[in-house]
Amino acid sequence: MTLITLANVFKTYRHGSLEVPALVDFSLVIDSGEFTVLAGPSGSGKTTVLNLVGGLDRPTSGTVTVDNLDVGGAPAGILADYRLRRVGFIFQSYNLIPVLTAAENAEFTLMLQKVPRPERRRRVVALFHELGIAGLEERRPSDLSGGQQQRVAIARALAAFPGVVLADEPTANLDSHTAEELLDLMRDLNTRRGVTFLFSSHDDRVIGRARRVVRLEDGRLASDSAAHR
Amino acid sequence: MLTALAFRNLWRNRRRTLLTLSAMVVSAALLILCLGVYAGMIDDMLTTTTRLYHGHVVLAAPDYHAHRTLHAHLPESAADLPTPAGVTDMVGRTPRLRAFGLLSAAAGSQPVEILGVDPVREPTVTTLHRQLVAGRYLQAGEAGAAVIGSTLAKKLGVAVGGEVVVVTQAADGSIGNDLLTVRGIFTTGDSRHDGRLVVTPLPWLQQLLVLDGRIHEVVIAVANPLQAFADADRFNAVLPAGIEARDWGDFLPEMREAIVSFDVSRVIIAGILYFATALGILNTCFMSVMERTREFGLLLASGMRPWGIRRLVLLETLFLGLIGSAVGLLGGLLLTWYMQAVGIDLSGTITPITYAGSTILPRLRAVFDPGNFLFPVVMLVVVALVAGFLPANRAARLDPVAALREE
Repeated sequence: MTLITLANVFKTYRHGSLEVPALVDFSLVIDSGEFTVLAGPSGSGKTTVLNLVGGLDRPTSGTVTVDNLDVGGAPAGILADYRLRRVGFIFQSYNLIPVLTAAENAEFTLMLQKVPRPERRRRVVALFHELGIAGLEERRPSDLSGGQQQRVAIARALAAFPGVVLADEPTANLDSHTAEELLDLMRDLNTRRGVTFLFSSHDDRVIGRARRVVRLEDGRLASDSAAHR
Repeated sequence: MLTALAFRNLWRNRRRTLLTLSAMVVSAALLILCLGVYAGMIDDMLTTTTRLYHGHVVLAAPDYHAHRTLHAHLPESAADLPTPAGVTDMVGRTPRLRAFGLLSAAAGSQPVEILGVDPVREPTVTTLHRQLVAGRYLQAGEAGAAVIGSTLAKKLGVAVGGEVVVVTQAADGSIGNDLLTVRGIFTTGDSRHDGRLVVTPLPWLQQLLVLDGRIHEVVIAVANPLQAFADADRFNAVLPAGIEARDWGDFLPEMREAIVSFDVSRVIIAGILYFATALGILNTCFMSVMERTREFGLLLASGMRPWGIRRLVLLETLFLGLIGSAVGLLGGLLLTWYMQAVGIDLSGTITPITYAGSTILPRLRAVFDPGNFLFPVVMLVVVALVAGFLPANRAARLDPVAALREE
């Protein structure tokens, strides 16, 4: 079932009088439950695709549809609600809130959804167990390793049961061993929970573990192969 | 969790927060002290005039105060009229008779105001009996005795036990004169009283003026002078024809204006002091928001609405305001308590100053007035919220993509 559709998307950024094209006539269809990597060098438009799908940015032209919602044209309030309930984000630099504990960071989206505190904690404790970071709930991000922080970020992205998880270079700050572990974990979650993963990377070891690889060059679709391993 | 987040955010840069808080605490405490001392000065001025001489509410014939004519008198029973409902803070009332004449002694003569008082009831209304620097106050049943101001005594060259001759016009047109023995000498700091006031027993003056059983006014003291206006109205609602009540503001309009100007001054002082504080809070909040741009991007990406971000930053400034106010209040209470209990004596440096019909005493003393605590505390919280609005707005209007890209 089609979950994400980008149709003839153009995205141009303006730097003063200079217009920089980030995406040029880009189209992509992703089905529900896919585990897709956007590959390509820096500046190829990977993050722009993630931002458009995540409702953080709007296309200059073309349409972006996620689960029948016109993400490119929806009002700000609808987009905020979309980000809150239907998308989970994982970032390269974890982006955990330093003054909150690991569990509080993971609970944050649920708090915004007004999920009662006991239910929030129950879900997060289960996720921490599943992600191999049980017992670290009360630690602050500064007391966690990079891999542990990224697992907390994954827990935060998954806690609200989103339909799609968008990960921007999620392993770029990790050593290769931890990166592989984390990728295996995301693949496992994709298989067991059926969560759609769309992430970006330029690391060939990471790209090699994806089921589908979409390559971008200069904002254009260079290749699209469903690589099942 | 938002509340916890806001509170913990305050302490990310502990030193900066503590510096800002210290500025807020000092501002609030100093403002509280300043208002307390200012109120103390007003209280001194009000007390020196109303409790020394005028009283707070005066019952008299309607035309008496305009001309102070000898003939606008009341029956002495007016001093015992029923107290109207609603006047609950009356602390005393006393009858008075007044005349103007000459007081003579060996050194010469001086124009004087002769005030006939009830030696027992007068001290419940005024504090002149506490201002004696020599001798004693009048006693009940005493005749031919007087208590006079120190400047007057000096001019006449009389001391306690000395005799003076009083000459005045009586109500029947005759000239009233008699011999008075000076029993006490007072100093109030007010040149008008010290230089021309003679206090005598009421029956003696009634006899001298041929006004037996008559008085000119009934002077009333209340616990809260600022409520005297309302009390005078309550009296006027029930007083019989031929008697009206006036409050101290009618006799001391400059003093009334001075008190009104106090409220304006309070706002101006707070405005100046808190403006600088607001800049400090604004700086702290802006720095804090700028440093967390990426984090706000994350919050927006997580689905937090702009008003949620705004609320988070305002909660932080609210906490800053509440903590600053609480500690500032404590500091202000301690300073005010010290200035009330001990104060600063300036009598070695300056002499009493007569201003707006009253006397500013040579001392710094604070009074406890809930308004002087509530106003700075509430204002500081408001200032914190206002100062936090700009940074909060900036954080709320961030573009999530640009914010997440921020290093």
